[in-house]
Amino acid sequence: MRAAARLLALGTLLFASGVQAHIASNGFLVAKVAGERITGSIELAVRDVELAIGVDANHDGRITWGELRASAPRLDQYIARHLHLAAQSSPCTLSFRALEVNARVDGSYAFLPWTARCGAPIRQLNVRYALMQDIDPSHRGLLTLTAGRVAQTGVLGGSTPLLSFDVAHPSQWRTALEYLQAGIWHIWSGIDHLLFLISLLLPAVLLRRNGHWQPVPSARPAFLGILKVVTAFTLAHSITLSLAAFDIIRLPSRLTESLIAASIIVAALNNLFPIVTEGRSRIAFSFGLLHGFGFASVLADMGLPDGARLLSLVSFNFGIEVGQLAVVLLVMPVAYLIRCELLYRRVVLPIGSTAIALLASVWLVERAFVL
Amino acid sequence: MSGHSPPDIRAPAHRAWMPGALRHAIACIAMLMTAYATAAAAAYTPGSDAQVLAIVPPGSAHASLATRQVALRRPDVALPLAQFYIGRARVTGDLRYLGYAEGMLTPWLGHPSPVRPAALVLHATILQSRHAFDASLVELSQALALQPVNAQAWLTRATVLRVQGRYALAMQSCEHLGPTVEPVITQLCVQSLQALTGHLGEAYAELASAPHTGVPREVRAWRDSELGEMAERMGNDSAAEQWLRDGLTLKPEDFYMRTAYADLLLRHHRAADTLRLLSGYDAIEPMLLRIVLARQMLGRGEDTRGEALLANAFAVEEQRGEAIHRREQARFLLDVERRPAAALTAAEQDIAVQREPDDLMILLRAAQAARQPDAAAPARDFIVRQHLQDVRLQPYLATRHP
Repeated sequence: MRAAARLLALGTLLFASGVQAHIASNGFLVAKVAGERITGSIELAVRDVELAIGVDANHDGRITWGELRASAPRLDQYIARHLHLAAQSSPCTLSFRALEVNARVDGSYAFLPWTARCGAPIRQLNVRYALMQDIDPSHRGLLTLTAGRVAQTGVLGGSTPLLSFDVAHPSQWRTALEYLQAGIWHIWSGIDHLLFLISLLLPAVLLRRNGHWQPVPSARPAFLGILKVVTAFTLAHSITLSLAAFDIIRLPSRLTESLIAASIIVAALNNLFPIVTEGRSRIAFSFGLLHGFGFASVLADMGLPDGARLLSLVSFNFGIEVGQLAVVLLVMPVAYLIRCELLYRRVVLPIGSTAIALLASVWLVERAFVL
Repeated sequence: MSGHSPPDIRAPAHRAWMPGALRHAIACIAMLMTAYATAAAAAYTPGSDAQVLAIVPPGSAHASLATRQVALRRPDVALPLAQFYIGRARVTGDLRYLGYAEGMLTPWLGHPSPVRPAALVLHATILQSRHAFDASLVELSQALALQPVNAQAWLTRATVLRVQGRYALAMQSCEHLGPTVEPVITQLCVQSLQALTGHLGEAYAELASAPHTGVPREVRAWRDSELGEMAERMGNDSAAEQWLRDGLTLKPEDFYMRTAYADLLLRHHRAADTLRLLSGYDAIEPMLLRIVLARQMLGRGEDTRGEALLANAFAVEEQRGEAIHRREQARFLLDVERRPAAALTAAEQDIAVQREPDDLMILLRAAQAARQPDAAAPARDFIVRQHLQDVRLQPYLATRHP
């Protein structure tokens, strides 16, 4: 779906160059429910319109806009006969607006906006779709139905000429919950993000004085340090996750995955050979931008449902925050309690950081050279 | 991103970095959101009546109302037209023709009539082209129940079962071909299966040395394509290339063979040769994928248009709930979009439907790239169980990735 949405934007440019990859015949039906009214559009390929009602008046094998426009009344009739909407059992009356053309990647489509009045509040919308079926039984009507902020999709035609949609009971919560869980699960299963954060947080219960680590005197500076790092990381990855999720910026995943591994190495090495001691939140922010792209590739694989894109994105991001906060709350109090032990400064911090740096180096090589 | 923001000379740099980056990011979001929203509304009113919106492909006019009404009554019109459309679909790669063929056949599939077996076999061919293999087998069984001596039905059945990796059943179908077909067809049917089940060398030798004088052009092309594939699996790429070239000279319209030849060229990084071979075939999805891969190999920047067409075609297929080009989709996700996890998902769905060496290959490669070696287990098990020999798969079997 995400890809399809992205392509719409390219459609106009691409069509100009001629040859198209062949896909099976589809009609695109969009419907938005508001009270007793539905507004929407139906799109049929110009090729298919020609087969259905005969548009090529001069039989030269070329369908012009003039020919299509002249056939508009017959197209209205054809669609009215083959597309039926009903609110519960009460049939809706379709009225068509002016015919337009939509350039899709696979060719020109006749784009016909319509409104429907159903005479009753719509709780259940029944859609019966018979367009093109007698000519091309493999033709399908791809329906996107929006009610409020909830989008549902359906495929009509073949053995499924009729679909019913529950309009009254949106499943927004289910979508939100699903993406929330995915966010939590991703942060726990892909430990690279956690290792980055932990590398930055391990020294948060310590202070660097004269080239040596010392325990912080009280909880307040430790808490503030942790808060700054976590906030900066959250802010940064939220920005890039949003940019990537809405397709505003795309980076090749090999690059981001490699750079994420590199960021862990930098964060871990900084504990062994400290360069940045007070402003670790700056590292968290700058590299956090990269980690956001990493999260985005997971989200890209899941896809964002049309009509609930923002909700899904926010839920996924919130899931990531919940997941990471849970780990911080688990690890950092322990780190705070044992900060005065020599074990923490001599073993946990240096050996832990070394191990993290080594593991991340392996990832870096694997990812950069696609091993 | 923060690199683009102008330096803030009023505040110390270490204090200005976050607000600067944020401001810049917000400006980016606002600007691009607007662009996104306007570009998505693509419907327009053409400026001139003379603007050509579509060209009616030759032959599709038959599908119109008048012809359909005749075909409803007369099977001697409906069946040959259906066959014509299936042929058009093969030559043009245009899936709509399969729909028109189906429209001609539908009235003759259901109720009993002397043409029902023939209609079922034609329809099974359409289902096969859509990779609806199980449905295709059901209709072939129905046809064979009505007409046990139907060489076309047995041959199509053997082909479908072979693609599914059900070699023993496919072999039984070959044995049913019987005396009504030329012996060379039975031989091809049998040997191509032998070559997949541990007898690659013997099958190759037998087919390569079989006499082929007097064999029809189509059958010779089929033989060349099988021999080409066998030679490739044996690691003899120069022989494979010769077979495929010979086959394509005999039957230039064989897409399967052309695609196989393109893959051989791509494996040898012969991108320019690939583009020459596929020139003019960019309307066919699997060919377009190879074109995009060859252009990528040549480093001529991204083929944005080709990628967009493919992504659209896969997205629409997915929305329709079909899986015609899952193998191509997996390869597209892996090699073009470089999304190994998504590629692996597609490859897993693909292997559930079909098990040709290329399907095994894409699963093995995707599992490795996604660092999930266990996901390739179905491919490994299948290769071991069937004694499948293929040097191209070896690198992915020898080393189990940690």
